[in-house]
Amino acid sequence: MVGFLVGEALRDLRRAGRVAVSAIVLITLSLAALGGFWLVSSNLDRAVAQWRDRVRIVVYLKREPSSADAAALLERVRAMPGVAGVTFIGKAEALRGLKQVLGKDASVVDQLPANPLPASLEVTPSATAATPEGARELVARLAALPEADEVAGSVDWVEQLSHWQRLLATIGLGVGAVLAIAAILTVTTATTLVLHARRHETEIMRLVGASEVTIRLPLLLQGMMQGLAGAVLALGALVLTYSLVAPRLEPLVSLTLGLSQLVFFTPFGVAALLAVGTILGGLGGWLARAGREP
Amino acid sequence: MIEVHRVSKVYSVGPVKVPALREVSFRIAKGEFVVLTGASGAGKTTLLRLLYRDDLPSEGDIEVLGYDLVPMRRSQVGALRRSIGVVFQDAKLLPVRTVYENVAFVLRVLGTPRREITERVFDALRTVGMSSRAQAYPAQLSQGEAQRAALARAIVRRPPLLLADEPTGNLDESMAAEILEALKGIGSGGTTIVLATHQARLASALKRRTLTLDGGHVVKDEG
Repeated sequence: MVGFLVGEALRDLRRAGRVAVSAIVLITLSLAALGGFWLVSSNLDRAVAQWRDRVRIVVYLKREPSSADAAALLERVRAMPGVAGVTFIGKAEALRGLKQVLGKDASVVDQLPANPLPASLEVTPSATAATPEGARELVARLAALPEADEVAGSVDWVEQLSHWQRLLATIGLGVGAVLAIAAILTVTTATTLVLHARRHETEIMRLVGASEVTIRLPLLLQGMMQGLAGAVLALGALVLTYSLVAPRLEPLVSLTLGLSQLVFFTPFGVAALLAVGTILGGLGGWLARAGREP
Repeated sequence: MIEVHRVSKVYSVGPVKVPALREVSFRIAKGEFVVLTGASGAGKTTLLRLLYRDDLPSEGDIEVLGYDLVPMRRSQVGALRRSIGVVFQDAKLLPVRTVYENVAFVLRVLGTPRREITERVFDALRTVGMSSRAQAYPAQLSQGEAQRAALARAIVRRPPLLLADEPTGNLDESMAAEILEALKGIGSGGTTIVLATHQARLASALKRRTLTLDGGHVVKDEG
């Protein structure tokens, strides 16, 4: 029976001819657009997550505290809401850090008459404070410390990045949805043509008492086949584009976003894309059927 | 087997009501070969359509093969039709399939195991004298051959009831005689047959029980 249903679905697909090809092309375009935006968005999302983890707020101190005072200060800061962690960096340690950054030019530092760098606290905000609003409140609390001279750092630009990522995902979803609707309508048209071409078969099937499922399933299957074919082609196009573009873009992405490499879909993502294509096609096939029930 | 009780059928064509059957009643026993005759428009096709539940009567009751057709749910129609073979004036063969595939199609639709299909299809084709034409396409068949292939398709499921609606309507006398011989052969195997024809000469030549319809009434039940 399964062989019969699949055979009939393939026969229907051949009958739909060019319209079926158009439907497959539209599904390919919609899923390629959806998948492309999804890929860019998921890589940006990784960058945002990575940068959120790296966000630090630095509290420059008026003077270097004694060990006991530093320990007490750390305790007070740790107890503040929105603080995930805090590290004390003394003047000497700050200077060592500067030398490390300067590398071969580190000898310049030795010519300074005194260590000009202030002692500081490096504060890691908690997840709740890693928003522009939360970070502003934390900065205000830290600035209110009597020991604080200046507070530097915010998460605004990370939020900007996050905003662009969300915008991109929304655009992708919008473009994908418009193309998906066009694809569904094309599959519906292809299936309507199939319905007309197979009206004699349908008549015979009803006459001999075939179940509605047997009559409908080939139509649903041929729609799903169109959808799956479109999804496979879209996936192929995305793999090709990724393998061509990713190696060229990675140095730039590493420099600007700090991502060492661009990632492709996970196996779940691939399965989801194929499933979406199949569902789109199936929906088109089913809609045509539902509208033409005699 | 078949019991039709005071059945009327009225078609609505816009505001106009067109009666096709009026107060029709009869019984057909298991294994009977009944000829339904009358002029074109007498109501023969309407009556046959009611028997395989392609339509519902406006009034009256119909029982076929133990099924009460009027209150029958749509989901039960399949079960009824799986026990009925139907042949039409136009053979309704699928043009892109061979004779074998046309006959096998109904078995495949109903999920018959593949190993049974070949045997049953050739049995049916042999019964109507078409086994040598199994690989021909409908376009390569004469009208008589096409009608015999349609007959094979109708009997391949070995239904207890066969309804034939003007199967000889498009055929010359010799071809019509071939079809009638085939129908007699099928009937002799115990299948109940209802044959609708407007050809009065053919009906009388068959020497079977004949129901004559005129203007939607059964005006004669003889033989």
